[in-house]
Amino acid sequence: MILLGFVSNASPRVREGLVKPIRMACLVFSLLLLVLTTGMFFQYFGNVSWMDIQFNDYEYMASYSWIDSLGINWTVGLDALSFPMVWLTTFLLPVTIIATWNEKYGATYFPLLLMMGGALIGVFVSLDLFMFYVFWELTLIPMFFLILKWGGTDRKYAAQKFFIYTFTASVIMLLGLITLFFLQEPNTLASAGTMTGRSFSIPELIDSARTANVGDNWFLGKTMQNILFVMLMIGFLVKLPAVPFHTWLPDAHVQAPTGGSMLLAGVMLKMGAYGMFRLPLSLFPHALYHFQLALMIIGMVSLVWGAIVCLGQTNLKKMVAYSSVSHMGVILIGIATMQPMGWAAALFMMFAHGIISPMLFAVCGAFKHHYHSMEIGAMRGMAKHSPWLATSMMFAWMASLGLPLLAGFVAELMMLIALWHMISLDGWSIWWMVGPALVLALTAAYYLWSMQRTIFEGGEETQPPASMAGQIIPDISNSEKFAMLILAFFTILFGVMPWIALDMMDDWTKQIFEGLIVFVGKGGA
Amino acid sequence: MSDLKTVEPFGEGFISALCPELILFAGLILLIVIPNLGSGKFRIPGTQTRVPWLLGGNRFKLTSDPRLPSWIAVLTIGTSFVMTILSFQDGVERTAIVSEGGTQILMINAFSRVFELIFFGALTLASFACMNRLDVKGIGAKLSTEELYNNRRQGDFYILMITCALGMSIVALAQDLFVLFIGLELASFSTYVLVAFFKESKSGTEAGMKYFIVGSVASGVGLYGLSMLYLWAGSLQLDVLATTFAQSGNEALPMIGIGFVLVGFGFKVSAAPFHFAAPDAYSGASSPVAGVLATASKAMGIVGLLRILLIVAAPESSEDGTVWLVCLGLLSIITMTWGNLAALGSTNPKRMLAYSSVAHAGYMLAAITAIGAWNWDETLSGDPGEAAVVVLAALIFHLMVLVAFKLGAFLVLSVLESEGGGSKLSSLGGLAKREPFLAVAMFIFMISLAGVPPLAGFVSKLLVIMGIVKVALGDMSEALSTGSELGLSDVHWVWWLALAMVINSAISVYYYLRIVVVMFFEEAEEGRSGPLPNGWQVRFAILVCLIATLFMGVASEKILQICETAAQSFNYNWA
Repeated sequence: MILLGFVSNASPRVREGLVKPIRMACLVFSLLLLVLTTGMFFQYFGNVSWMDIQFNDYEYMASYSWIDSLGINWTVGLDALSFPMVWLTTFLLPVTIIATWNEKYGATYFPLLLMMGGALIGVFVSLDLFMFYVFWELTLIPMFFLILKWGGTDRKYAAQKFFIYTFTASVIMLLGLITLFFLQEPNTLASAGTMTGRSFSIPELIDSARTANVGDNWFLGKTMQNILFVMLMIGFLVKLPAVPFHTWLPDAHVQAPTGGSMLLAGVMLKMGAYGMFRLPLSLFPHALYHFQLALMIIGMVSLVWGAIVCLGQTNLKKMVAYSSVSHMGVILIGIATMQPMGWAAALFMMFAHGIISPMLFAVCGAFKHHYHSMEIGAMRGMAKHSPWLATSMMFAWMASLGLPLLAGFVAELMMLIALWHMISLDGWSIWWMVGPALVLALTAAYYLWSMQRTIFEGGEETQPPASMAGQIIPDISNSEKFAMLILAFFTILFGVMPWIALDMMDDWTKQIFEGLIVFVGKGGA
Repeated sequence: MSDLKTVEPFGEGFISALCPELILFAGLILLIVIPNLGSGKFRIPGTQTRVPWLLGGNRFKLTSDPRLPSWIAVLTIGTSFVMTILSFQDGVERTAIVSEGGTQILMINAFSRVFELIFFGALTLASFACMNRLDVKGIGAKLSTEELYNNRRQGDFYILMITCALGMSIVALAQDLFVLFIGLELASFSTYVLVAFFKESKSGTEAGMKYFIVGSVASGVGLYGLSMLYLWAGSLQLDVLATTFAQSGNEALPMIGIGFVLVGFGFKVSAAPFHFAAPDAYSGASSPVAGVLATASKAMGIVGLLRILLIVAAPESSEDGTVWLVCLGLLSIITMTWGNLAALGSTNPKRMLAYSSVAHAGYMLAAITAIGAWNWDETLSGDPGEAAVVVLAALIFHLMVLVAFKLGAFLVLSVLESEGGGSKLSSLGGLAKREPFLAVAMFIFMISLAGVPPLAGFVSKLLVIMGIVKVALGDMSEALSTGSELGLSDVHWVWWLALAMVINSAISVYYYLRIVVVMFFEEAEEGRSGPLPNGWQVRFAILVCLIATLFMGVASEKILQICETAAQSFNYNWA
């Protein structure tokens, strides 16, 4: 319904003189969206009780036919899986706009951000395989331009690498989707009069998968499930990104402008995890079981490898980018535990990381903006020169390393518990705990170390970095302060009261799990 | 299925059936005659009376205007285009033009009409854009020899455009391989000259020569193949050949004959390994002409391939159908991979587009393979022709939208070319600052070529892949729903063609993006920072292409239906 409006915000081409009104319009519009989704949460619109949504049931459903002869409909809807993501997107949009208030070429920059947000929301609300894919690809275009126009020195390389990597993965995913589409039984009711006799609807697909997965019968058969699972997962894993497909991420992040990084890390990475939950998890329980070990290993490697690489980074933004890889590993592990708790942990991690990582990148952006360098050694004794920046940096770093009472902690704790569950219930080796435990220490190490080198070291005699060449060292601007404060506020809010979002996620994962456990217990492997 | 209506030449219904072609023919004659009209008078012998008979003498002001031929050509082809569209309104009547002996010569149905639409659409846009490409200096002022010469050859160029359209539409209509060959040669010869027409660039003549030599060798081989087929079947009628092939198609003679004919058409669609002349020809020819080669001429080759492979050598009728099926599948993979890899390395945007057009030929061959596979393989039986219609509709749709974004891309290059050169990547530099409209249009064309949703290029590529996958999976969905265990080895091998296509489109993204990067983020070449040459015609043509690219991506429903009817009418055994 109203969600349709989200997408039609293609940027108008405008002259430089219009920067201010456009910036204002973008901000107002994104705030409007935020109010709207928040209103949805507080049940102002349509009296939705998020706790009561059954699995594969959706609120605010609306459908428009697009290409009838192929059975393509534009169906949108929200459930407990997609709603937090949609809210997150609408929340980050105004925050990003505020945080990067003074970005150059604003007349195209801010509309691009909005377009990006529109495409992201499109991904999360689409309940049609085809539209899902369309929006999935559509997110690439604004991001490509954001990196290319506002990025650092190597931006051309980074933008192209980013585009090609993700595009390659998603076309393979597309082939998987199409194969899946044709492997469905022709559905005469829903798709009468189409050329192919099938429809792209995700709810229908999940329905038929769940009715087919009975006893020893598997939806599409075991082998086919595995093949399709792999094809879809390639698309999702590259987007996530998991080691060994992660190399585009540090490049893209380092070169991207602050606003781009904030959206990229905050929401775009979650598309991969969202896709995993939406499709393979719901459709291919056998394959999930089959590849559990592989997923676990990929997750562990991402987690540990990301953390180890972080230790060696001298570039602040690159370090934060690799820490994203590490955190995405947590999501994968959460999924691979095959516990409802683990899945809820993964979902909450998506959400928490979506709030924390924009803050990390906002700090990096401010650092770069004021000290003209991303090198960790470039600025020493920041606490003295720029107390605001130093405080925000410290807060963000702490949140990311999982300080209790902050949002990241909840997710990590849940993941650890789920891992214990897996070890004790499903008889996995206890050595699986070593990785996360190690990483807890490593994460603390690299964050604290970098903090020590930038914020504190140097003491009273600290000289400003050479790159500043005698200028007065500024602190961050008011808009940046404001954005940091909002982000910090929500980090604390969701750290202290995680149930606001966690409850609905928990409910959703339990339901999907109940649908699955029958098979894992019964027919699996 | 509508009943077949037969019409004898100049009999009842002849004019309405062949309306677009007749308009073209009339326009051709007008184009030859009108610019030559003058004040010449004829003195009746023995008297002093002079009757103005218009030929010779001083030309009138109107008829000597060098812009006149272009307008006549555009109006002619444009009118044919509109007439073709109008004929869709209440369903295309299936009409055959028969000779006195009763043999079918031409067949008018939805299939041929759709292809006429493609040909005329591409040629109208190209001729329209050429108004800016060919230098026209006003009359009256003192002109140099060069300028006079340029004004003089206006007529020649547009005559060739019209003959090209005429030849192509004959190919689409032909029911007899000989008629088809005549149409093919008419169109081919026009394009040979068109390629060589622009002498501003040194490579123009060379390109024309190369294209002519390779093309005529290919035609010669094709003609040799036709003669073999005639020797074997005693006729070149498509239906006669089809029935004979069903009886004795596995003999050596028809196989060799068909192989030779394929060489001829393979050259036209620029499939590897017959594509070598294409990059030279495209980069040497002026951009609008190259655009015609990449769209209309390619569609013409596809019609030929479809007729030969799916009507004559219809694989369901012969056990040896697999031979060409496998060959064609391999050929398609080679073609698309080769095209894409070569495009990666080329720094000339026109050559790059040429190679990308080779890659697109590969995708089309993959689609044809899939149609053949469906027909041949009995294990894939379902509704007869169900999947074949899907693939064929996808193929036609692909050819249609190709006109929008491929031609559009060439037209953008054409603007640069008339400024002084578009054969280097750097000549696109700074386009976004110099003329944002062109840069945005080129950006849309490029990502549409790469297949990014929701543009036309994405929908068409998606449809082709979907069609192939559908063929490959056949009735597996039924088997799966009954609980049987199937793996990748049970999938028909054409599925791998879809995989190859997918991977190839991922490769292609790189070189399309490179153009975008140069346009938006690199400075203009030395001395090329000023505004681009004027010309509303070419910009209008680009705008039309742009709108079509967006429209056919977002609102493809209606056009898809047209393609579906066209596909159904291709072979009436399917419907």
